[in-house]
Amino acid sequence: MAIYNRAISRRGPVAFRRRRPVSATSQVESLARSLANQIIREREQAKARQRLGRIFTTFDPTDDVLPNNIETVTRGLFFGNTGSLTTMFTSSNLTATQKTYFQEIFSTGDPASNTNANSELSMAYGHFNGSGSKDLTGNLNNDTPSRAIYKQYAQLLLAPNDKKFTINGTDTNEIYVLNFNRARIREKLDPGNFELTLAQLSGSAGGGINAALVPNAAHTGSNVKVSGTGQFIQIIDDSSLASGGSIAEGGLVYNLISGSIDEGTSIHNSSSPVYYGLLYPQHGVAILNGEQLNKDISNGGVNFNSVTGSGVQGDNAVKLFTSLNASDALTPAGMNGGIQARSSEQVKSTYYFVRVKNAEYNYSNNPSFVTGSLGELYFNTFTNDPQVYITTVGLYNQRRELLATAKLSQPLLKNYTREALIKVKLDF
Amino acid sequence: MGYLNNSTITVDAILTKKGRELLARGRDEFKITQFALADDEVDYDLYNPEHPLGTAFYGAAIENMPVVEALADETQMLKYKLVTLPKGTARIPVVRVAQSTIELNANESTIITPSTVNFGGGNRRFGYTAILSDSDCADIVATRGARNSAASVPQFIGDSEAAQSITVSGTQFEITAKELLNADKQITILFIGNETGGRASVTLTVKKVEIATAANAQLQS
Repeated sequence: MAIYNRAISRRGPVAFRRRRPVSATSQVESLARSLANQIIREREQAKARQRLGRIFTTFDPTDDVLPNNIETVTRGLFFGNTGSLTTMFTSSNLTATQKTYFQEIFSTGDPASNTNANSELSMAYGHFNGSGSKDLTGNLNNDTPSRAIYKQYAQLLLAPNDKKFTINGTDTNEIYVLNFNRARIREKLDPGNFELTLAQLSGSAGGGINAALVPNAAHTGSNVKVSGTGQFIQIIDDSSLASGGSIAEGGLVYNLISGSIDEGTSIHNSSSPVYYGLLYPQHGVAILNGEQLNKDISNGGVNFNSVTGSGVQGDNAVKLFTSLNASDALTPAGMNGGIQARSSEQVKSTYYFVRVKNAEYNYSNNPSFVTGSLGELYFNTFTNDPQVYITTVGLYNQRRELLATAKLSQPLLKNYTREALIKVKLDF
Repeated sequence: MGYLNNSTITVDAILTKKGRELLARGRDEFKITQFALADDEVDYDLYNPEHPLGTAFYGAAIENMPVVEALADETQMLKYKLVTLPKGTARIPVVRVAQSTIELNANESTIITPSTVNFGGGNRRFGYTAILSDSDCADIVATRGARNSAASVPQFIGDSEAAQSITVSGTQFEITAKELLNADKQITILFIGNETGGRASVTLTVKKVEIATAANAQLQS
């Protein structure tokens, strides 16, 4: 209880104090002080009485509610909050036509044979001129799937009059696309925590390391293999650089460059890294420069040797899948292969501070708290020393409609000697 | 030197169906202004004042019990609320109704006035919430209102039941039976104290309508 106790005058030690007549002013002050104390006491008693017989307590909007806190929440991008996808599966459920456009990538297994398979992302190949794929519908206008893919992503990510993806200042005709599922990215990919590890492929005649193997047009299906040299490249976004990241038509965009986030972010040859593509975190899309991936490893590529003939179904998206899926086996201990990524999302929260004072909420309407039909307490000792357990907090509006609930992890003992402060977080 | 126990507990809340509905409606109705506490899953029979290890272990069985997760169904949460009462209280406020069973014929009415015993003036300000479980059998209206009349804890049995239940708030209620043609039907009316918590239920039997037939009526061929 607060006491109105303003010092009125400083007096000397009692032994040396001369008894003075009490002035009218000091009498008035004394009376005023006593009256103020009485008013405060009565108000507090009334407040305490008001609380009695109540199951609800009103929040003080200033002290008890902390609205609109924004927190950035990051999670592993893949199923089960996993930050890396090292073993991937394509889906046999896609139709032949769908496969000419994209491959859907699953974790755990092929959804055709594994009911626990989880869809994670899609991979596609795009060519500005429509090369590397064949129009299965007999259309003669060269509107092939690879052309459709290129134009689709150009339309989504580039400025209206920009028709080609430009990687490190050079336009590219060939792109590989990784499009992560919206449910996985939530709000966006988390820049700075994105890494692709690509295994070197064997390639084919006309530039591959197994030059005698197969001609370019036949570099599909079972001919797409890992080189066997154990070599791989790693690609990260350049958000760690001061110059990294810009806002373009497609929102936030980062360059994808040679580097690794294993054991901390490091850019390979940071003064002159290899540029592999672009990352659009808000779209959950990574665009890789096919022309760069086609190069051999000494030039920063992985020997994709994408099929680029016209009227040929190249299944190029499978090359990206094969390369990513095989890379984990090639990385040394302490490094991850495949894809490493996190999602990022801003969550608005309001905190409610539930303050339970010692004299409050010490009795319960729980039927096991009483015995008989007259409301007698189950234990006689509860009359003067009731013990209850808080398990649930309910948040109500003025009409006493239950809007949100929170449960404690364990029952919390409450009695006249205990107070509780429960911070309830409500995310929107 | 030990570490001090951090006494602030942080818990995550989830929106109830009602909360989502009001949030979606967006008319400033989603405004949390008050809280209540409950101990729904605690059975105080587990509290053992005769525990051989002493006072610290009286409530051990309850305190070590894991608590189940929160549900989005507001009708199944906070059924048994904690209440603030004066120290030395020997009896918990009990919500009472005069009749625990009522039988009504079609179109007959009865008035129910819940009261609260063991606490003077209990629930006079905010009244009671009455939930009639099946609107096909009877109707219920509040004949005497209360402040901020609204459902505090509506209780429905299931989705189909929810569609048929009626929830009103007040201090006095009138129940009117409807016409049932097939069979007698028994339903429940639940009264919940909006201030002290606590609940009382009434079993209502609505008799089916007896249709008189002529004694000498014969089938015509």
